[in-house]
Amino acid sequence: MHTSFEQFAAASMLGQTDAPPRSNGELLFQRTWEGRAFGVAIALSKKGHYEWEDFRRQLISSIAEWEDKHGNNDPEWDYYQRWLLALERLLIEANLLTYQELESRTKDLLACEQGAA
Amino acid sequence: MSERFAYRDNREAYNAARVKALESLLVEKGIITSEVVDKVIRYCEEDIGPFNGAKIVAKAWVDPAYKARLLADTPAAIAEMKFAGGMTGVEGENMQCVENTSQVHNLIVCTLCSCYPWPILGLPPYWFKDPTYRARAVREPRAVLRDFGLELDDSVEVRVWDSSAQVRWFVLPERPPGTEGETEENLAKLVTAESMQGAAKVKPLPAH
Repeated sequence: MHTSFEQFAAASMLGQTDAPPRSNGELLFQRTWEGRAFGVAIALSKKGHYEWEDFRRQLISSIAEWEDKHGNNDPEWDYYQRWLLALERLLIEANLLTYQELESRTKDLLACEQGAA
Repeated sequence: MSERFAYRDNREAYNAARVKALESLLVEKGIITSEVVDKVIRYCEEDIGPFNGAKIVAKAWVDPAYKARLLADTPAAIAEMKFAGGMTGVEGENMQCVENTSQVHNLIVCTLCSCYPWPILGLPPYWFKDPTYRARAVREPRAVLRDFGLELDDSVEVRVWDSSAQVRWFVLPERPPGTEGETEENLAKLVTAESMQGAAKVKPLPAH
C-alpha cells in the first residue's frame, strides 16, 4: 500500500494531543470554505475512507480538465474549486454521499442564505 | 455590474454552500466530525511550515556529517530533527533533498497537481499550484527564475524536479557568504521557503 505525505501529515497530527500554538503568520486559506474542503479531504483519508492517492488522482483529473479548456493565464483559475470538485467526485465514488443529496442540501443552504439576506 | 462579476459572486456563494452541504452531510452520517476537520486545519496552520525546513538546512550547513546523511537518506535525516507531530514513519521515505552548488541550481515543481513536502515546507504557495508556473517551470526554468528575480550565470546548470506521489523534492540552498561562525539558530532565520523551493537564493546577513 502506498501512502503519501498528506496522509502522513494527517496521521502525525491526529495521533497526538494539541501542540502548543505556534503561528507562522501566514494566511493559508483565502476563504473559509477552502480550509473546510481541505480539512475534510484529509480527515476522510486519515479515517481510512479512501487512500490519499485516490484523492490525488481525482485532483489531477479535475485540474487537467480545467487546463484543457482554458489558457494557463486565465484569471478564472481557482485551485480550491478544482480541489472541491475532486473531493465531491471522490465522496460519490466512495459511496459516502450521493450526488442527489449533495445537490439538494446545497440548494437548501443557498435558499436559506438568500432568505436571510 | 458585468456578468462576469455576477458569475464570480454566485460561484463564491455556491462553493461556500457546497462545502457546507458536504461537511454537514458527512457529520450527520457519522462519517466525520467537525472537530477533526478543525484539527487538520490547525495542524497545517501551526505545526508545519518552512520553519521546519529552515532548521534542517541550517543544521546541514554547520554539520557536514548531517548534510551527507540528509542527501543520502533524506527521511531518516529529517526524522532526526524530531519535529512536532513526530515526522517519523514510512511515509517520510517520500521526501528527497537536492543540493544547490555554485554549478547546479535546483527548482521544484509538481506538473500534474500540487505535490509538495508539507511536513517541512507547509502548504504550497499560490504560484506553485498555478497552471502557468507548473507548465513553465519545466519548459523554461531560467526564464521563470528570472521572473522571480534570480539571474543565474549561463555556466550554472538548472535542474527541475517534478514531485509526485512517489517523491516530494526540496532544495538545500547554498549557504550565503559572510555567515562563517554564525550559530545554527541564526542561520535558520535566513532560510526562506523560496530558497528551499529553488525559487530564490538565501540572502546574506544584513550588514551590521
